[in-house]
Amino acid sequence: MNTKEMLYKKEIRITIIFTLLLLLMAHSASLFVLFPGMQSKITAAGVEGGFGGFPVQYIVPILLGWFGLAILCVVMALVCNKFDDEMEQLANDTKAGRSRETA
Amino acid sequence: MKYVLDNVWIGLFVVVVLFAAFYYVGWWASRKTSSEEDFYAAGFSIGPVTNGLGMAATWASLATFMGVIALIQKLQVPFVYLWIQWSISIPLLTLLYGTSLRRMKAFTPASFIKNRYGNGAAICVVFWMCLVMVMYALGQMIGLGQAFEMLFGVPYNTALIVAGIATVGFITMGGMYGASYNAAFQMVVMTIAMVAPMGAIMKQMGASGWWFPPLLYGDMVPNMLAAIPTFFDMKYDFRWYFALIPAFTLGPVALPHLAMRVFTSSSVKSARWAVVWFTIFLGLLFCGTYTAGFAGNYFRATTGNIIEKADQTILVLNVFYNPTIVAAFVMGGALAAGLSTIGGNLMAIAGLVGNDLLGIMAPNMDRKRKMRWGYMALGLGGVAAILLAFKPPAFLVTSVLWAFGLLACTASPAILLGVWWKEANKLALIISSTVCGILYIIISPHVLKTIVIGKGLPAALGMSGGMVTVPLSFGLFIVLSMVFNRMEAFKAFAPTLADKQLVDRIHGWGEEYEESRYQSTVWPLVAVVVCVIVLIWGLQPWS
Repeated sequence: MNTKEMLYKKEIRITIIFTLLLLLMAHSASLFVLFPGMQSKITAAGVEGGFGGFPVQYIVPILLGWFGLAILCVVMALVCNKFDDEMEQLANDTKAGRSRETA
Repeated sequence: MKYVLDNVWIGLFVVVVLFAAFYYVGWWASRKTSSEEDFYAAGFSIGPVTNGLGMAATWASLATFMGVIALIQKLQVPFVYLWIQWSISIPLLTLLYGTSLRRMKAFTPASFIKNRYGNGAAICVVFWMCLVMVMYALGQMIGLGQAFEMLFGVPYNTALIVAGIATVGFITMGGMYGASYNAAFQMVVMTIAMVAPMGAIMKQMGASGWWFPPLLYGDMVPNMLAAIPTFFDMKYDFRWYFALIPAFTLGPVALPHLAMRVFTSSSVKSARWAVVWFTIFLGLLFCGTYTAGFAGNYFRATTGNIIEKADQTILVLNVFYNPTIVAAFVMGGALAAGLSTIGGNLMAIAGLVGNDLLGIMAPNMDRKRKMRWGYMALGLGGVAAILLAFKPPAFLVTSVLWAFGLLACTASPAILLGVWWKEANKLALIISSTVCGILYIIISPHVLKTIVIGKGLPAALGMSGGMVTVPLSFGLFIVLSMVFNRMEAFKAFAPTLADKQLVDRIHGWGEEYEESRYQSTVWPLVAVVVCVIVLIWGLQPWS
């Protein structure tokens, strides 16, 4: 596989993975609906198996939608910016190659 | 029970100080604005922290500050989930197309549509985007009117006119520089106004973690459950939560005023770091909002007080628990929330009309005249929103949310497929966008009450409608593109080599063109199958 093909596949892979992870951070509440066993039990006595006093089905989506998303975006910036450097390198190499051919 | 400030003069003082600051920034920015790049994209020069604040402020509207708290009272925790998913809007649009369009130095997403699909498709998308922007600004104008109404105890219509004119004035003055720096300042104001006074309220309500109200009110949960046992119930079936994706996740991805925040970045890399700051700032504000929603429910259930206008809950809580000066500052925060978003909305209208539409209708018009038309479009968009706000819907957030679904089926497919699929065909776009946009309007309960998909709030907010029209729009666009590109009679509408080269270029390939890239047939067909499944699911009766 040549560099161009490798970079193309990498771009698609990065985009799909980060899209899915972003959706997960934002829609984690759906998992608690799909798998009700994950929910904290709420009784007259209070919340069983919660976090910070809250039922997990409330606080986990909130935390993922803030801190989880922020961490994911840091990773996304690092990975995508590094990928941009590789793309720029390829574009510069191509341009230099064309200039040499013209000369 | 009606709540207004005890002392109108304090409210007036806060509003005058804030507006003086906004007008000063607008005036300062107007001196920096000398070209179209300055007016529409702040000279492509905004750094990551300022831009992150600006992104958060543009996204966090009066709907966040007031409307969401009202709907948490109605739907309780499911509405918190609905709101959480909006925090990915800008990260997702940056990942999927924001940086690509920043690379081509677009002023608005429609600039890309024009280059990628041509003038006809651009006019179609500009029309839908302008409509959505006016709807969006309408929601903000309603909130502004309500905030002024509470601040000064004047009738809603008077409050609306005064607030509306004052707002449109400073936005028109400053262009995108003014909108960007004002938005950053407004984000700071609105976050302090949301979070700090909430601490005082939570302390009086008995929360031991009052010093960090966005997250530390867990010890109030037993009392809340005693008052409202169903507060944390996940009340709806799985489809309700899934329906958030088509309308509310995919719609905001195409919001021009959000995309324009990415375009103002000083570089593609800076845009990505701005997104990180955006998630941090917005997360703090959003979590403050959930706390206010919790507190609003708690207040009503434990004190027995009735809040006449649910949208005013945050303001009512502050009038009830905090000193007048603090309550006035919170109302100032509400104003900041509305102003920053209206700023983004009106700048988007100015860009769409002044740059995109005039670029098509009068391509030879000189840049200065085009910019003047942009200013005029900005002012007219503001006036239209003020006029529409005279007869507001019951919840201000309703009009905003409904508009997202409209955008999801009219503009999102055009942008996403245009960036990622070379086969995307201009005629297919015009047909799918027009048909699905009209269908979305018809099947909503706001126009023809007898033809509605879904019922109750999911229908009013466009969730059930979006679950039908969004997959239909994507599916129709893909299938028609494949058909039209293979028929001789429609050859004129097929993507040209220049269109395809544009796709490669905005992905960063420079002059390096490769026909096979972004040209898959299998994956679009898989997407069509998924769309058909979602469409059929959406058509099933809604409980």
